[in-house]
Amino acid sequence: MTAPTRPAFLSRIRFRDAGTLLGLVLIAVVFSALTPVFLTTPNLMNILQQSAINACIALGMTLVIISGGIDLSVGPVAALSAVLGAAMMVAGVPVPLAVMAALAVGLGCGLFNGVLITWGGLQPFIVTLGGLSLFRAFALIYTGGTPIFGIPEGFRAFTNGTVAGVPNPVLIVVVLALVAWVVLNRTPLGEYMMAVGGNEEAARISGVPVRLTKLAAYMISGLMASVAAMILIGRLGAAEPTLGTLWELDAIAAAAIGGASLMGGRGSIMGTLIGCVILGALRNGLTLMNVQAFYQLLATGIIIIVAMLIDRATSGKQGG
Amino acid sequence: MTPRLVLSQIKKSFGPLQVLHGVTLTVGAGEVHGLLGENGAGKSTLLNILSGVFRADAGRVEIDGQSRTITSPRDATEAGIAMIHQELQQVPELTVAQNMFLGASLRHTGGLFINRAAQEAEARRLLVALDPTIDVTAQIKTLRVAQRQIVEIAKALRAKARIIAMDEPTSSLTPKEFDRLVEVIRGLQAQGVSVIYVSHKMDEVYRVCQSATILRDGRLIGRVDLPQTPVETVIERMVGRELAHGVHHSFTRDRVVLETRGLTRGRTVQNASLTLREGEVLCIAGLVGSGRTELLRLIAGVDAADAGEVLVDGTAIAGGDPRRRIRAGLGLLPEERKRDGIIRHRPVTTNIALPAMRRFSRLGIIRRAALKARAEELMREVQLRPFDVSRPIGSFSGGNQQKAIIGRWLAADTRIFLFDEPTRGIDVGAKAEIYALIERLAKEGRSILVVSSELPEVIRLADRVLVMREGRIAAELTAGGITEENIARHAIPAA
Repeated sequence: MTAPTRPAFLSRIRFRDAGTLLGLVLIAVVFSALTPVFLTTPNLMNILQQSAINACIALGMTLVIISGGIDLSVGPVAALSAVLGAAMMVAGVPVPLAVMAALAVGLGCGLFNGVLITWGGLQPFIVTLGGLSLFRAFALIYTGGTPIFGIPEGFRAFTNGTVAGVPNPVLIVVVLALVAWVVLNRTPLGEYMMAVGGNEEAARISGVPVRLTKLAAYMISGLMASVAAMILIGRLGAAEPTLGTLWELDAIAAAAIGGASLMGGRGSIMGTLIGCVILGALRNGLTLMNVQAFYQLLATGIIIIVAMLIDRATSGKQGG
Repeated sequence: MTPRLVLSQIKKSFGPLQVLHGVTLTVGAGEVHGLLGENGAGKSTLLNILSGVFRADAGRVEIDGQSRTITSPRDATEAGIAMIHQELQQVPELTVAQNMFLGASLRHTGGLFINRAAQEAEARRLLVALDPTIDVTAQIKTLRVAQRQIVEIAKALRAKARIIAMDEPTSSLTPKEFDRLVEVIRGLQAQGVSVIYVSHKMDEVYRVCQSATILRDGRLIGRVDLPQTPVETVIERMVGRELAHGVHHSFTRDRVVLETRGLTRGRTVQNASLTLREGEVLCIAGLVGSGRTELLRLIAGVDAADAGEVLVDGTAIAGGDPRRRIRAGLGLLPEERKRDGIIRHRPVTTNIALPAMRRFSRLGIIRRAALKARAEELMREVQLRPFDVSRPIGSFSGGNQQKAIIGRWLAADTRIFLFDEPTRGIDVGAKAEIYALIERLAKEGRSILVVSSELPEVIRLADRVLVMREGRIAAELTAGGITEENIARHAIPAA
């Protein structure tokens, strides 16, 4: 009846991603016009590098949001895995083992959140808000509030390294994004996430393992938070128990700019990545122009709200 | 006499799709006028234009001979138009009186405070004629659906409506409540209020309406005077083809595939035991609230039973999680498809694949091509329209969504289909298709349990009927005994 045969849902999602990309291009054009440094290869790499950590967190957040939840605890999860991982490295545990242990901490935190949400039947917002305090407290108590220094050089060299001029953290994010894309769009788990977020009761009646699906989303989110933590401590050479403050909000913002619906059921890996780069480019551009940090915050707020307004206007009557 | 309402040459398009091609509708003062057509015929769009939700691209609206421009729900209210939606638009936590005065509250002290006493007095005055048993200070959520509907009608009268449009008002009413609604409508008529009545149930339309307008594919097919026009003619004009009259065939074999023993959940289902044979269509009749839906959900494993067991092929299957029952070969087709059946943003393909995802994936990756091929094969058999399995399921009509859900369970090799009101909200043409599908399932040796409130449907489909009353299975009717009288006799509690 309507337009020719292109699958409507495909064209719709791609249409949304194209919109996000257009937003990024607009921002890039504006900054290139305002400051000559913006559109140079080193600066672009810099933007990607700076966006990598948020992208890591946001990828996990996107899956959680698609499955109808939210994870506010990602920053403290990152802090806890950072300090535990760093402490092990400093204590002489081989780096790969320490990294694995740190990632396991992230998974464990996700398991904690997920179990309370699924089997405990508690609301994701509240559970992860509790986690936000709890995991931060663990990190602070464990370290006594002081940073852990002395991350091994080998590990630092890896996270600060490049391949063909592309920083390793960016490559890590690219690989993780590919995996996340495959999971979301090509595996039963991804379909389950969209089904559970889209209509939990219908999914349950159709035999979707609702609890396991949600649990998987929170565990992936925890895991991604600890990956971000590893990248950060490698780059800084120290693990601060206070790292990751407000990371959850940046990640949610990136996912939302990228088209994830906080009602669940919809979102896109590509969109989230572009959303991260938009936020990164914005901060980078404003810094290059010597704009005060207060105004950077202002610009971020405006971008998020404008993106949502455009979203609303273009997908109009579909509602919620 | 000038008609109360004239909609003339109304046109409306959504993007490239024209949904109304110059439709005209005339309703006299104090007339009850049916608006008939299959789903997708344009009835809802027309009502939404009348009530100011959508704006017509072209056409005129005249009320009592005066031309009116209606561009917002507020305009519609001011023009004396009220709409009673199928899904009642009320705030459950607020009281009856508060709901009746939502957005038009009575104030005192210079508009600062709401005058509750005055609102309640006025609400009481309006409700007395309609249903004096409704307490205006009760929260809406404590009322039965039929009472909530009466409150909506009272709200329309409060706003001095002269035209009240009712969209499928009886979809969740018992026969007795329908009788009451007919009385209320007659009362409205006597006051000169015009009613536009949308329903798929022909017996109701014939009982309530004096005339009707028939739409098909967004076009006006005609206006008919009702008692004079035979029902076959009306349906034929709605559907555009003659409906084959259904004759019941039985495909029941001997083997028992499903058995429940003493299923109990609170007071809603008590000690329900039944057997279902291979190839059998077993209907569960009874009033709304008699525990039929709840029994079906217990069998599907969606809700946990307090007591009793479910046996498939003689083996007890644990409940509490639908997945075990699905694996044993059961599949539930819920009544509220939007709420419990579909993932509306996802395409038909994935909606079909949900219970059988493992079957459509290899090494953890979904085989899209295989899934699409299987979905197309299934949907071709059930004649999905439009035939595009990549479209979001939410964009299909109710009947086609139901076909997709049938496809879902076919793809999962389900042997026992649990249908809850299989044709609720489905138009006349698609109904016949669903009946034919259920018959085909039985013919293939699958077993079918159908909960239905529509007696002609029960009689058309059932090999055997169980009648539920107040949470218990009150009677079993077999071949010769399946009549409307028998079902009604067992369904209604002794007063």
